Amino acid sequence: MNKHKLHVAGTHCASCKILIEDVLGEQDFVRNSSVDLKNEIVEVETREDIAPEKLVEILNNKIKPHKYFFSVEKTAKSAEGSGVIWQALPIGLLFLALFFFLQKSGVLNIGIGSEATPVTSFIIGLIASVSTCLAIVGGLVLSLSAKISEDNVSDTRTFVLFHSGRLFGFGLLGGVLGMVGNAIGINFTFTAILGIIASLIMLMLGLNLIGVMKNKATLPSGIFNFFRKIEHKTLTPLIVGFATFFLPCGFTQSMQVAALSSGSFTSGMLIMFAFALGTLPMLSLLSFGSASFAHSKHAPLFFKSAGVVVVGLGIFALLSGLAGLGIINPIFNI
Amino acid sequence: MNKTVSIILILGLAITIGVFVLGGNETASEQSVEIRDGIQYVNVEARGGYTPRVSLAQAGVPTKLVMTTTGTFDCSAALVIKAVNYQNILPQKGKTEIDLGVRASGETIDGLCSMGMYSFQIKFN
Repeated sequence: MNKHKLHVAGTHCASCKILIEDVLGEQDFVRNSSVDLKNEIVEVETREDIAPEKLVEILNNKIKPHKYFFSVEKTAKSAEGSGVIWQALPIGLLFLALFFFLQKSGVLNIGIGSEATPVTSFIIGLIASVSTCLAIVGGLVLSLSAKISEDNVSDTRTFVLFHSGRLFGFGLLGGVLGMVGNAIGINFTFTAILGIIASLIMLMLGLNLIGVMKNKATLPSGIFNFFRKIEHKTLTPLIVGFATFFLPCGFTQSMQVAALSSGSFTSGMLIMFAFALGTLPMLSLLSFGSASFAHSKHAPLFFKSAGVVVVGLGIFALLSGLAGLGIINPIFNI
Repeated sequence: MNKTVSIILILGLAITIGVFVLGGNETASEQSVEIRDGIQYVNVEARGGYTPRVSLAQAGVPTKLVMTTTGTFDCSAALVIKAVNYQNILPQKGKTEIDLGVRASGETIDGLCSMGMYSFQIKFN
């Protein structure tokens, strides 16, 4: 018997199919393999006769680093699978409530002098990273990080590249703003549309993390290719980090104006770099925190809770963005 | 965790978030509006949101909106007023006058920050 039907556990995304087939394809004795994500079944065609148990053992050794698991018999779904959501919902909502409470409390509305120096920029960055900007920039970082960690790729490297791209991008673009003085008026409508795209990505990834969209609605392949690129290439995390410069965040926009009026490349660069540096502690906590949770035994709970938080922030950002564009009436009153 | 406990927690938290996000005092203010030399000035302060959230102004009078910023770096500095096609980032500290023209009774002008989570209204009567 050269054809085998194996059950596979641990598949959570469309790219898992590609990854598993890649790994199986690397084995000499495997002629052909195809993964059916919907039914969690892998069909493997081998070159020689092999006992299914033996095949499973060999393949499990190869696939272990990717955290999938093959079996001859379908393993009973662990009971915790469905129970986790009942823990994740209150945890996620608790974080959302804390976030909105922080905004409402006015703690973040401390006045900072009217002069933007690198030091004040850094402090403003610190505040911005826990302000409403967290809804969009932080939400995006959290959802991408959790997703990347979930896919078991070299997450640390990706995160370092992302944050470097962000710091470098802010410095460079800040410098350009300072040098040019006025030419690049950063368009409100442009940032608002970008914000809406970001919030849609957050909603999608959030639902995916919770598991609502798992296997049922696989995302359009174009978007998946995009994520595969994020995960696998060096350039993409750099560019995504760079692009966060244009995401809507009132603080970022104010700092951009400060950089504009600073009058020179160096001062504009220093202002924006210091600002990005100020946002770094919170954002790296989100990304590296995701990674460490993702590799712990609490991973399922973490992914679902993070999903709830991301969906909440995504809805908030989306409705705000639509109001900002004048498409719907403003509903929030923070 | 028990499912019932969980559902109670979820409901409680959802209501709390709802109050944080949607609630607030909607008391309209007339104090922030003054008429000097035939021009109506509506004063709104921008920092971590806008105060007052609702201003009541008179219709049929040339009106100027005066935005006051006091070290404002947050989103409320990035002001959008669709009705008069105004999109600008207010200076971090100072007063900015925006001409609203003469408005008819019953008109409402909305001001929003660029991200859309802070807003204010001026109602004309």
